[in-house]
Amino acid sequence: MNRIVQLNLWQFALIYLLLLIVITVLRVCKIDQTKNLLWASARMTLQLTLAGLILTYIFQNPHPAFVAVYLAGMIAFAIFRVFKINKGLNRRFRWIIGASVAFSGLVVLMYFVTLVVGENPGNPQYVIPIAGMLMGNTMTGVSLGVKTFYQSLRDQSVRIETLQNMGVKPDRLFMPFVRQAIETAILPTINTMVGIGIVSLPGMMTGQILSGTLPMTAILYQIAIMIAICTTVCLATFGSLYFGYRTLYNKRGQMEIEAK
Amino acid sequence: MEAILRATGLKFLDILRFPPIAIEKGGVTFVCGKSGAGKSTLFKLFNLTLSPTEGTVFYDGADIAEMDPVALRREVLLMGQNVYLFDDTIRGNFEKYFEYRGEPCIGGDGMQSWLTVCGLEQPLTAQCQTLSGGERQRVFLAIHLAMRPRVLLLDEPTSALDKKTAAQVLERLIARCKEKGITLVIISHDPALAHAFAENTIALTEGACE
Repeated sequence: MNRIVQLNLWQFALIYLLLLIVITVLRVCKIDQTKNLLWASARMTLQLTLAGLILTYIFQNPHPAFVAVYLAGMIAFAIFRVFKINKGLNRRFRWIIGASVAFSGLVVLMYFVTLVVGENPGNPQYVIPIAGMLMGNTMTGVSLGVKTFYQSLRDQSVRIETLQNMGVKPDRLFMPFVRQAIETAILPTINTMVGIGIVSLPGMMTGQILSGTLPMTAILYQIAIMIAICTTVCLATFGSLYFGYRTLYNKRGQMEIEAK
Repeated sequence: MEAILRATGLKFLDILRFPPIAIEKGGVTFVCGKSGAGKSTLFKLFNLTLSPTEGTVFYDGADIAEMDPVALRREVLLMGQNVYLFDDTIRGNFEKYFEYRGEPCIGGDGMQSWLTVCGLEQPLTAQCQTLSGGERQRVFLAIHLAMRPRVLLLDEPTSALDKKTAAQVLERLIARCKEKGITLVIISHDPALAHAFAENTIALTEGACE
């Protein structure tokens, strides 16, 4: 395999010109998102540059403590994003979401790195990129799941009130909403699994192939990561909602649903 | 008078203050008053979906705050003013609601019998989405009756019916509840209905009671 072509910074800058196409479309369609697009692009560039510098340092000075700190930062950011998208969650619900995201991410990550790959769990080259993929997808899945859960509770307030008045136990009342939200959260991952290899060559595989890995090796990693993502998203959403819904009523079975 | 529900010193937030209330066992009590007088809130305090800021509600002599809320709500059943039916047949709705309560559903004859009490002549296979507002309200009422509570709190149970049908439904409903020993407490905006059917009346005014 050929080694990857190193990007010349001037040539690399050409990629930003493509944003002009996006801006033109936004202008023509009078979609007021130009500022957001520019802000997102600038933020992405800055965040990735910083990540690159930090990773370079960690790879040159590998130490489990660095890996642990980097992981903690990733997990904290993922949890923070879930809260940002789902404002107004009660304190206990937030703790449960935080614990579910962290627990699911770490358990699957360690399983993947130590048992599937057979690497040291302190090896930054494996742990950090895999954790990034797991946590990124978990963040999206849990945000979507919690949002769907609350949206359905709001849309179905008459149903909830009726069932509560009828003396239906809270677990029976909430479980259909929990099931629906978990389904919504994992559906994008399942859809990606269906289309993968035909519609898309995912980022990780593309990256590995570009850097000279044999396609069959890249494919094995890709299959493994897809299953790991699906498991983490499912486990984190399940934990968040299955334990979280119990914070929405008190011991008198009175509802305390407040998220915006 | 033997009271099945009794409330003393009830206050909800700083908005509503209720006088001593007693609901006669096996009787028909109407709760009247303008919007905002606290009629629906009173019902929610009775079935413990809300807790009073002050005061106590007694059911059969026991403080409801000490009771299992689910068991209480099955005995003191509240039919809210907003009708909720699943997108299913009438039979399917009976079955779903019983399933949610974890109880075996009544048979088709029982369903039909309760629907007849509510003045609805529709097959059990009729899809609820295609029924009129008044018909849906009567299916909803029939399901609540079929659950055989000891006290049935009805929040405007005939609001979607014309006056004549409302009177017919209430007449049959009261007769059947008397037969089964079900205590009825009804919120109604129609003074004529209260006048015709009430054995006792609680008149609430905004923030207090007359």
